[in-house]
Amino acid sequence: MITLSHYLMASGLLFSLGLAGVMLRRNIIIILMCLEMMLSAVNLSIVAFSRYSIVHGHQNYDAQVLVFFIITVAAAEIAVGLAIIVALFRSRQTTHSEDLNSMKF
Amino acid sequence: MNPLFLELTVVLLGIALLMVEAFFPKLCKKRLAFVGMGGLFFVLLLTWLPMSSVSIESAPFYTIDNVALFFKRFMIVTTILTLLMSLDYIPVIERGIPGERLGAGVGEFFILPIFACASLMWLVSAVSFILLFVSLECMTVVLYISISYLRKDPKSLEAGTKYLILSALTTGFLIYGISWIFGVTGTTSIAHLAESIVLLPASSMTPLLFGTGLILVALCFKIAAFPFQFWLPDVYQGAPTPITAFLSIASKAAGFVLLLRFLEQLYLIPTLGKKVFAITTLLAIVTLLFGNLAAMAQTNMKRLLAYSSIAHTGYILMAVASIGAALAVPAIGFYLVAYLAMTSLAFIVLMIVTETSGGDEIYCFQGLHERSPLLAAAMTVAMISLAGLPFSAGFFGKFFIFQVAFQQGHYGLLAVATLSVVAGIYYYLKVVKAMYWKQPSETCTPITLSKLTTVLISALIAVIIILGIYPTPILMSLQ
Repeated sequence: MITLSHYLMASGLLFSLGLAGVMLRRNIIIILMCLEMMLSAVNLSIVAFSRYSIVHGHQNYDAQVLVFFIITVAAAEIAVGLAIIVALFRSRQTTHSEDLNSMKF
Repeated sequence: MNPLFLELTVVLLGIALLMVEAFFPKLCKKRLAFVGMGGLFFVLLLTWLPMSSVSIESAPFYTIDNVALFFKRFMIVTTILTLLMSLDYIPVIERGIPGERLGAGVGEFFILPIFACASLMWLVSAVSFILLFVSLECMTVVLYISISYLRKDPKSLEAGTKYLILSALTTGFLIYGISWIFGVTGTTSIAHLAESIVLLPASSMTPLLFGTGLILVALCFKIAAFPFQFWLPDVYQGAPTPITAFLSIASKAAGFVLLLRFLEQLYLIPTLGKKVFAITTLLAIVTLLFGNLAAMAQTNMKRLLAYSSIAHTGYILMAVASIGAALAVPAIGFYLVAYLAMTSLAFIVLMIVTETSGGDEIYCFQGLHERSPLLAAAMTVAMISLAGLPFSAGFFGKFFIFQVAFQQGHYGLLAVATLSVVAGIYYYLKVVKAMYWKQPSETCTPITLSKLTTVLISALIAVIIILGIYPTPILMSLQ
């Protein structure tokens, strides 16, 4: 029997994987992919929470609306993010986060 | 009037301007900016009309209380100031964008802040996690574009990329925190959070604290409190100066409004509140220390203002930590208004000096009083106010915050804050010293100001001094 805690564990695992990727990887495109993974992990946990919270005999759909918004926001973020990375590559010929060091004090 | 019309008007204004810019490419871009400012000013006037309560469909999301109205006006004024600054910034934008013809891509620079303004106006009214998330992200996406707007300038792109990655990361934290709070309480409403938490069994406190912590991390990133401030100096330095001003004022104010709405609910629950407010006090102390100590070593003016902005976050967090005091919210509102006036004044002078002397280091300000007495005077007023010396808006800002912290008995916090005020006087007056007592390094040419800029600078000086003598109107509008 699959319970809420299984879903939460899966989503927690995905979230930590994404977080580790953001912290450890150096390629900005991979970092963006990891960020998307974190958002998907959150979607999973919200849907699971919503499915298992029963109010007056009905499921609580409030948060599932939020999931649609998260998907939309993630798409917008990726669209703008990739555009910025393309512009960065044109001017610097790199997508590595270590090369972004022109401003240090 | 239905308050939702305010945001609707601003969005429609933005879309109309985009259409005009798309179909009449030969139109003078300055006109777009003036129409934008006119439209925003009209909406600002509309906020004084009597508001009807919000319709039932949007009621769980949206509130129109004194705080919301006050900050809506605050956001509109910030956007108008940003647009006014952008007018002087047009030559830099034209140089910074690759385009077939001169002036391509300038129009959007004036239109993007209008959309950011609309989402900020929604944000300050948000009493549901859903509206909070959507409007916060709307603003952030607009800021991604604006920060990396100068595509020929590697610094601007670098700042944009850094902001993109770190901000998207905190979005992840925010929404994960929201998901846990929803999971525990079963509600997405902020306004009814306390009612739901009271009914919970003691065993669900741990996941609740986990969610609260994640949301606090995300909000601390927005206001740049200490462990989450590392993005700020680079982004401030690389972003176009008007956008830096917008980021430093509007985005910070929005973060504080959200923090207030969220913490006000937690304050109602003593067991949880105690833990959260101990953390807030600690955050205020380390932010104050870090911001002021790091600012003392800076030689670049934009970075100095960045670290000073972290220090000011520390002061406002003091008032957030004393949320139980009756005057806490007015004190925060007043401090942010003072911060709006003095920071935008400093950024306007910085922008003009950077353009005429080719750099934003502090030594570029040397001998400024010979080149333009008005600019030097304006910078002096801004610095005095940022340092919190008497007869300036910054003085009363700090005074009210120290007062509420004293009422709540945060004596340790007050001691640290007093030390940081002293440190602040040192590094702000360093700039004044460079302007009046140091010889300019190169041949000094006088700076000529446009009429509009002169009026704007004089008006901001007047606002700072008037609020430094008569602060009552701002306090009254928040009580």
